[in-house]
Amino acid sequence: MRTRTLRAWSWVHKWSSLVSTLFLLMLCLTGLPLVFSHEIDEVLLHQDWKPAAEGRQLNLDQVLDAALSRHPGGVPAFMSFDEDRPVVNVTSVDPGGPAGQYTFQPIDRTSGDPAPPVAGHPAMEFLLQLHTDMFLGLPGMLFLGLMGLMLVTAVVSGVVLYAPFMRRLPFGTVRASKKARTRWLDYHNLLGVVTVAWVLVVGVTGVVNTLAVPIIAYWKDTALKELTAAYDAPVALTGRSSLDAAVRRAREALPGMQLQFVAFPGSDYSTEHHYAVFFHGDTPLTAHLTTPALIDARTGELAAVAPTPWYVKTLSLSQPLHFGDYGGLPLKILWALLDGITIVVLASGLYLWLARRRRERQA
Amino acid sequence: MSREDLPYRAIFGAPLAIAVLSLVGLLGALLDDGAWDALGAALLAVSVGAAAWALAMRRR
Repeated sequence: MRTRTLRAWSWVHKWSSLVSTLFLLMLCLTGLPLVFSHEIDEVLLHQDWKPAAEGRQLNLDQVLDAALSRHPGGVPAFMSFDEDRPVVNVTSVDPGGPAGQYTFQPIDRTSGDPAPPVAGHPAMEFLLQLHTDMFLGLPGMLFLGLMGLMLVTAVVSGVVLYAPFMRRLPFGTVRASKKARTRWLDYHNLLGVVTVAWVLVVGVTGVVNTLAVPIIAYWKDTALKELTAAYDAPVALTGRSSLDAAVRRAREALPGMQLQFVAFPGSDYSTEHHYAVFFHGDTPLTAHLTTPALIDARTGELAAVAPTPWYVKTLSLSQPLHFGDYGGLPLKILWALLDGITIVVLASGLYLWLARRRRERQA
Repeated sequence: MSREDLPYRAIFGAPLAIAVLSLVGLLGALLDDGAWDALGAALLAVSVGAAAWALAMRRR
């Protein structure tokens, strides 16, 4: 490689790394407990609980009424369903409250009473929001997406620079007897190159996840636009048809699929006029892909089954590939180890830059 | 390239193999359950194993 080319790649590697290192360290440190969020929530939120009654189940309208009666003035946004207990989770929003602030209520479907939460411990929610947007909403998400692109640039330039640094050293060499800077350069190169694929997958899927809001907004503005053309004003809360009947109608339209959640009219994942009832498949791959059936909230009629386009599917698949929660505990443990290795790569890169600066100043 | 320089194949052979195995593991565990969960984790573990091997065996 020519000296000029080498210098150019070196400049790219240095600045893409320096600009993003502190944010990437924050993402790695907050990401470490988030890998085990299910297990941590289980420990922190553990409560012995049994449904009030066996067999009998309230319909979804009754569950919704029970939830809203405890949160007067709240507007329903989402409804999701626990897989291993008869609990329906109702998420509502206060129309006068701050944007993005939701109330989450698990409801015992056999009685309408509150059930203990099994996810969303405040400590984990704090870490998740710091990891997702640094409490800055969409600008924070997009900024972290930019840091993710910096990471990808740093990895690609690092691979290019790996060749000149390793041209006389067999793979994996660590010159442990040399001075600290050489030793840490070898650690940095070794740990960086063996984790390239994982870091790129987690980095790229992280960038895609930061685009969730614009991706969903684009989907609503394009694929769902025709469905809303016939209406002038959003459907009023009091003018909505039965939620339970809407979900039953959606089930008929998508037989064999698993109910995942309902997005209410006006929420992020629906139009102003429809219940969007989301289903997922039951194979390992399709379990991560959702298909919504849109039910007219005024009439209760099926408006459309709207398979999601490729960019929404990409977003759906980016979530498990980023969080590593799709292959059981062994995969999670590996995710944590690789996250730890990435922290060492980032910290050693920072150390190498500082050591070089010190040496240049002394020269 | 001087006479002492290693060819690109020698420089990138092992990292490329590790990257391919990692990707197969990541995608395999996503696309299938059961045996693929274990196999996917094992393939991804090659990257951690290679680092551990190098740190233990290639110090000089």
